[in-house]
Amino acid sequence: MERSLDQLVSEARGGGPRSQRAAARLMSVMTDQPHRLAELLAGSRDWPQPRLVLGITGAPGSGKSTLADHVVAELRALDPRRKVGVVAVDPSSPFTGGALLGDRVRMMRHATDSMVYIRSLASRGHLGGLALGAKGVVRVMGLVGCDIVVVETVGVGQSEVEIAQNADVVVVVLAPGQGDSIQMLKAGLMEAGDLFVVNKADKPDAAQLQQQLLAMLERSRTARLDLAHGASEPLVCHGPQLQGPGGPIDIQQDRPPPPMDFDEETPGVFLCSAANHQGIKEFVAALEELTTRQAALWQARRQEQAVEEIRQAVLEEVRRRVSHVLQLNGNGENQIRRILAGETTLNELVDWLMDVAASGTNAKSPAASDAKSHLRTEAAGRAEFA
Amino acid sequence: MEKSLKPRLLIGKPGLDGHDRGAKYVAQILRDAGFEVIYTGIRRSPEQIVDTAIQEDVAAIGLSLLSGAHNVLFGRVLELLRERGAEDVLVFGGGTIPPKDVPRLKEMGVAAVFTPGTPAREIVETIDGLLAQRPAV
Repeated sequence: MERSLDQLVSEARGGGPRSQRAAARLMSVMTDQPHRLAELLAGSRDWPQPRLVLGITGAPGSGKSTLADHVVAELRALDPRRKVGVVAVDPSSPFTGGALLGDRVRMMRHATDSMVYIRSLASRGHLGGLALGAKGVVRVMGLVGCDIVVVETVGVGQSEVEIAQNADVVVVVLAPGQGDSIQMLKAGLMEAGDLFVVNKADKPDAAQLQQQLLAMLERSRTARLDLAHGASEPLVCHGPQLQGPGGPIDIQQDRPPPPMDFDEETPGVFLCSAANHQGIKEFVAALEELTTRQAALWQARRQEQAVEEIRQAVLEEVRRRVSHVLQLNGNGENQIRRILAGETTLNELVDWLMDVAASGTNAKSPAASDAKSHLRTEAAGRAEFA
Repeated sequence: MEKSLKPRLLIGKPGLDGHDRGAKYVAQILRDAGFEVIYTGIRRSPEQIVDTAIQEDVAAIGLSLLSGAHNVLFGRVLELLRERGAEDVLVFGGGTIPPKDVPRLKEMGVAAVFTPGTPAREIVETIDGLLAQRPAV
């Protein structure tokens, strides 16, 4: 029996002993039931929202969970009346679909704190749709009154980066010993960061890593600036003055500086040793300051994303229904072989699949079989599938 | 539902013994059988385990214990689940539990007890079977 969503929502919102359970169920609906997700997301527009959704990402073992744990501890210490949420995503096996969700192990001290809500999710890679589900989970955390929600994901794989990018602020966590400056030049993870934490600052190579990171950020800032200008516009160099025999050389003579209409800010870099709570106070203070400054902007951005969310939910539902029809018919292998044999076309097959999918649960009833005349009837189609 | 998602499970280690080779092994077996398994780490209180199970909306809790305190700690977990209105969460257990204690644990409401030497297949099939009997929520 599916409990009504409204009932769950009012129970979760109401506080009290049943609230946590109802919220947990709502989160499961968000992640496991795509056919109810769209309805729920659309209905969640007027739920209370967290002020800050903080994405934490980085390589495995860089200390993301430990950082999340200490950030939560610091936030709770600063304001004991504040509710904090954590969404911890670990990878699903691409081989078995199973997952071992172990981020909780680092956060167990918050397990009996009723003001901290932690939810572990498996990334479910190819099954798709988790980015949206994770967003839904964050929404439910807002519903139960979480002021700040931390979303932690491993920074490898597209789905994980996507999940992090749904956050208001993305912090990339790095630790010494995970590769040289060439790794930093590679695309992906490093581009996702609004802020950076160099973790494990107690290790000897941490300072060097910080320097490499700063150099990388400076380089990408310059590259962005360079690319932002026309081919004929020379770049104004703010670097050290070149010295010629007759004194300093002015390479910008007669050339006006190009307009600087892009974001000049270089992402902040924090040196932390999360396990020792070192650098956490400074990091959290910076987050608070950023939130106060940007909260209104983020709220507006989330409103703008609403259309995109529903669009994704619709696409996800279409994908689910169509692949369901394919599955019902033994993955449509015979039909697909007919395309290979040139007996039918890909377009015809897709049209047929969509017709069957559109007739929903009645897909098997012959009543729905008088579809378009140029297509096989549904009953015949099924026979061919068998 | 499409491609039926396997239910989420929690593997918890209550009490003071710090030997979690068994818990990790069972977690791995269940992971490889396609479950999403949440692990709590060692030396957890029944309160921590039950609060975690509720927040994570798991279908079942597996408790691993080698200290001999199973009667007390398993019982406390079941009691807390009832208090929180979550008695539909299945509880199973394992570890060095004397066979003579098993009937009593089952009477208390532990759905299955896996003692040392239980084949991996048996664990997976038993849990699959027990969860299949649960009504969908």
